[in-house]
Amino acid sequence: MRNMVTQRNGIHRFFLQLGNKWAIIFLILGAILFSIISPGFLSFNGIQVILINSPFILFLSLAETFVIITGGIDLSVGFVMGFASVVSAKLIALFVGMGMNDLFSIIVGIVITLVIGIIPGFVNGVLVARLKVPPFIATFSMLGITYGISELLIKGVVAKNLPVLAGEIGNGSLIYIVPGKTVSFFIKPLIQRGGQLIEILPTVFVIPFIFILISAFILKRTKFGQHTYAIGGNVDAAIRAGIDVKNHLIKIYMLSSFFATVAGIMYVLRYITGKADAGTGFLLDGIVAVVIGGASLYGGIGSVWKTIIGCFIILVLENGLRMLGFPTFYKYILVGIVLIFAVLVDKLFPELIHKEE
Amino acid sequence: MNNNKNSTLSTNQSPPNLFRVLLAKNWALLFTLIIILIFSFTGKRFFQLANFQNILHLSTIYLLLTASETFVIITGGIDLSVGFVMGLSSVLSARIIEQLHAANFPPALSISIGSIVALITCIIPGLVNGVLITKYKVPPFIATLGMMGIANGMALIISEGFPVAYLPRCLPNIGNSYLIYILPGKAISFFSKPKGIAGEEIKELIRIIPNSLIFISIIIFILWHILKNTKFGQHTYAIGGSMDAAVRAGINTNKHLIIIYVLSSFLAGLAGVFYVFQTGIGIYTSFGAMYELLAIAGVVIGGASLMGGKGGIIGSVIGVLLLGVIENGLHLSGVDPFFRYIAVGLILIVAVIIDQSFPDLL
Repeated sequence: MRNMVTQRNGIHRFFLQLGNKWAIIFLILGAILFSIISPGFLSFNGIQVILINSPFILFLSLAETFVIITGGIDLSVGFVMGFASVVSAKLIALFVGMGMNDLFSIIVGIVITLVIGIIPGFVNGVLVARLKVPPFIATFSMLGITYGISELLIKGVVAKNLPVLAGEIGNGSLIYIVPGKTVSFFIKPLIQRGGQLIEILPTVFVIPFIFILISAFILKRTKFGQHTYAIGGNVDAAIRAGIDVKNHLIKIYMLSSFFATVAGIMYVLRYITGKADAGTGFLLDGIVAVVIGGASLYGGIGSVWKTIIGCFIILVLENGLRMLGFPTFYKYILVGIVLIFAVLVDKLFPELIHKEE
Repeated sequence: MNNNKNSTLSTNQSPPNLFRVLLAKNWALLFTLIIILIFSFTGKRFFQLANFQNILHLSTIYLLLTASETFVIITGGIDLSVGFVMGLSSVLSARIIEQLHAANFPPALSISIGSIVALITCIIPGLVNGVLITKYKVPPFIATLGMMGIANGMALIISEGFPVAYLPRCLPNIGNSYLIYILPGKAISFFSKPKGIAGEEIKELIRIIPNSLIFISIIIFILWHILKNTKFGQHTYAIGGSMDAAVRAGINTNKHLIIIYVLSSFLAGLAGVFYVFQTGIGIYTSFGAMYELLAIAGVVIGGASLMGGKGGIIGSVIGVLLLGVIENGLHLSGVDPFFRYIAVGLILIVAVIIDQSFPDLL
């Protein structure tokens, strides 16, 4: 009898473990499935394609991770990304037009954009923390305002006339290998036409990867991260514990805007244009990735690494379906189903939440 | 209850406060009237019957979506799927009508079959949303976000990424006709243009009351009646006010919420079908359209709270019309259309801050 009980517990625990890790299991199963069906999927280039497409969703979901852990939501990130892409493209084109050095104008343009890009987040934070506007409404208002301003800046077309160097940075790779000859970092070696060149790790993935490491560290190991979880878990308790909740929330929304701004700058470097609606398609994917990663919209739960797994589930589905020749339409359906499934798993195994530390 | 008493007491003590409360309560209406006044000076051909009818005509689908969102938000939920359910119903009805039309069915029959099938189909997303939210306790935001993706994908698959265009030619007439046509001093007719007019005379034709206005008035009246005067409406407010209290009062909250989400989806479906009648093509909802967010904006400007328990159909209608007037007025005043998005954002913030400053309004 006792044996049976322990056995049942064992099975239960096994399912608990399974439920806890379902996202990564799902990701691996998906990757295996796609690599069996379409041979190119698991190839060197297949993986790099996923990495090249990853930065925008990675940045926007990083932004959402912080906000959602505090129990809020940021609907503006997609359009702050567009705003940043427009502002940086305009600035860089302006500086180049003034006769500055290409590299210098790119750097100055990016730095100024990073500063400007924090403003929407600051306003969001003040609205949410000081004026008690619900995050949904505050950030939706900011969505409208940033979208309007960026369309006005470019007058409804796209921002162009960027130096070629911008595209070279955005479409470059970390390591270049010419087999048997040279290895170089960041700088593309000159090769003969038809010559073999192996490009490893696109730069557009290296940058988000660094930010992922930093945010994972902040969220997990610093006081700032602890306070973020505390606010999401219980605001009243956080206030009683002496956390300056208002300032912290303002910082969180600024951080969210900052990540969105970096995404916008990456967009400019990658496509050499600034578009007001650059981030439209990634906004909801960002939120979805966070939720698939097991975060709760009520706050207090979530982690950077799980969000990243959520991102890659979406990316693998998208890329796999594309390689199989399905139109993107099916991706929307599958992502919707995975999203609902993710929450259902959490509901069916309520113990999971308590298992996390 | 106690809180309520206090507020009435304080308003009795100081009459100016009552005035301010009234002002705060009706600010959206007042603001709409003020900007109508401003636009009638700045806008070319703004203050004209034809233009106001235009605003109403173009607001029809937003009114339907906002009405559906109103019910959901009063219960304390949110429905992000309405915009894409609308697109789904639009392409589905158009596709069916197109196929039947190609098979030489009479237009009236194919149009009614297509519309009815689409409307019935659009109950399904709402049903799924409702079951997920009530039985499986999925937060409304996520359940409807998932449904949004699914509806979007379905709509794109049905339409294959292009508008569904080969529909009977009489179709747009249904959505775009007017009740009364008057050719001053010569002719008057109902529902269709007087026969035998051409050229310059068309410019003089006065059109009164678009079909869409009749249609939307009936729907809005029914919904207003349901929310204001029936037990169903009372229960909706009760659930939004306090779920626990509603359960204790013996309301079958699960069933009620499922009905609410089905209603929301159904109204979105209706908006999609009507969109086909207006434009004559079935078109999927593009990602940047943000119908659901604008509908939520309308509801919030109309005085609802995302926490639930507050709001009403009339307020939401005013919210939508405010947004419609701003869009139209800015356009006719020659202002860059993109200012509209900024205006929406600012008005939303104002709406919520006014709401926060007068917590005893209801």
